[in-house]
Amino acid sequence: MSAIPQLVVSTILLGGIYALIAVGLTLIFGVMRVVNFAHGEFVMLGMYLAFWAFALLALDPYLVLVVSLPVFFLAGFASYGLVMRPVIRESHNVQIFTTVGLSIALQNVALVLWTGDFRFVRPAYYSVVVRLGTTAFNVSQIVAFAVAVLFTAALFAFMRWSYAGKVMRATAQDRQAAALMGIDTDRVYGLTWAIGIVCVGAAGVLLAPLYPVYPTAGLQFVLIAYVVVVLGGLGDMAGALLGSLIVAAVEVIGSYVIGTAWKEVLYFLLFIAVLLVRPAGFFGQRGAEQLGA
Amino acid sequence: MARGVPAAVFFGLAALGPLVVRDAFLLDGLILILLWGATASAWNVAGGYAGQVSLGHAAFFGLGAYSAALLGTRWSLSPWIGLLVGVLLSTVAGLIIGYLSNRLRGPYFVLATIAFSQVLLIVASRWRGFTAGSEGIPVPFRPGFWTLGIADKRGWVYLVLALGVLLYLVQQYLERSRRGYQLAAVREDEDAALSLGVAARRLKVVAIAASAALTAVCGALWAQYVGFVDPFYVFSVDLSVRFALAAIIGGLGTALGPFLGSVLITTLETYLRAQFGGVGAGLIGIYLIIYGCALVLVVRFVPQGLVGWLGDRLRRHGLAGTAP
Repeated sequence: MSAIPQLVVSTILLGGIYALIAVGLTLIFGVMRVVNFAHGEFVMLGMYLAFWAFALLALDPYLVLVVSLPVFFLAGFASYGLVMRPVIRESHNVQIFTTVGLSIALQNVALVLWTGDFRFVRPAYYSVVVRLGTTAFNVSQIVAFAVAVLFTAALFAFMRWSYAGKVMRATAQDRQAAALMGIDTDRVYGLTWAIGIVCVGAAGVLLAPLYPVYPTAGLQFVLIAYVVVVLGGLGDMAGALLGSLIVAAVEVIGSYVIGTAWKEVLYFLLFIAVLLVRPAGFFGQRGAEQLGA
Repeated sequence: MARGVPAAVFFGLAALGPLVVRDAFLLDGLILILLWGATASAWNVAGGYAGQVSLGHAAFFGLGAYSAALLGTRWSLSPWIGLLVGVLLSTVAGLIIGYLSNRLRGPYFVLATIAFSQVLLIVASRWRGFTAGSEGIPVPFRPGFWTLGIADKRGWVYLVLALGVLLYLVQQYLERSRRGYQLAAVREDEDAALSLGVAARRLKVVAIAASAALTAVCGALWAQYVGFVDPFYVFSVDLSVRFALAAIIGGLGTALGPFLGSVLITTLETYLRAQFGGVGAGLIGIYLIIYGCALVLVVRFVPQGLVGWLGDRLRRHGLAGTAP
């Protein structure tokens, strides 16, 4: 029973990071009705950005985080204009395969440019462990968690109070009505996509000191993010937070009870169970899955 | 041009291949084209004809491959028996998935299928005692037809050609039969089909199960041909995407499309592997970059696929009646 405080702390730290990946995904789905299958590749690009800045310029990942925001914002706008804009009004299948194609291309650009080797970012504070009572955790984990929470809170505030956020929510609710009210939906989609990419790119930078960096590194995180967002209700941001904590709890407790080798099976089974029992998740609209939207 | 002529030409040329060509490299390419074409056709049954786009079909391919390999290595059973077991397992899995995920449409169905294939990947790579885990299983070569130890590549060509023709005929059936029309109605507008009394639910489940079973057949034969089963390959999302890609490039819901898509993809892959294989393993990624870009461009500019595009071209020039 002495392990419980540690399990709780680990769950919260892990959940914070999953949340940052998941809010971007759920934001893009909520407003654009697109499941971004290339989401994990932007995590990977964030990790590589942190790695190269560290290896070549000896820049600390947390410094890179600041630089990464405009970089990923531009990357988001560029990828929207080039890839997503032409298919934004097409069928689900076209959008699914467009983002899948983007994902394959990005993964393999990374493979060709930077090889498949596992790379590591190891700042000086890498092995610093903080102890609090009976719990112990890594400094990088705390920073990643703190920044993730800050980001998510900022995004919530942005969506709630800013004009652009209101416009995005209006578009999410009814794209036709929004267009009739004079909202330039195309710009809204571009902005939404770019903000989602910034969140996930920042998450990648934060994850670099914690996990190995390689071309398909994004896959493990994005699969978790799908579980998280479906659990919380696709498109629902508060649901994504709750979903992150649940998935993190399943992962942490699963690792503790049955070992790390089988923990992934648990959350995929949880995922399948949710899809079957209540595909709309906790907060999603009932019946959304039948419209495919 | 009569219906079926292009297919007759395609399979006829494939059958002539081994008589003209002796080169093992080229024959290998032909076998892979037919095998991947058949697999993409199996995917097409669910993804193209029934509109149930899955990115987890590698699960069924892997079930077939693992059944054949495990029964062969553990109990020295014939791969044909392994194939049957794989088909049974996949049919059951397809029925369950089809039944349970019947309410799910669009991205939800895709996510459910990905999750299913990931579960199988984890089981296959972690259950070391039974599946040999992430090391994979080398399939022993036992000469003879019953054990599928065919050393002569020409034998393999005719085996996978038979499989290809079978898959083509299955798809033809879906194009011409009453059941096929009902399936098309479900794909285009499920609610309208339901209101006309089409048993949409049952049709979709049966289509997914049939697609799963056919994919397992391809997986079992592939395992015997290649001689090695690696869990991270046979259950990967990449492999699932590959099946879909060939069908989309060739033409979703067309009988010959998946084979044409496979010709393009497999040729490109084999060529680039031969070119860059020695230089650096990383450069092999180039063909995957091309796949990715091709996928984005095809769904945007030629959503009807090669077969549809060629059909349009021919009709515009007054050369043909219908698309193949």
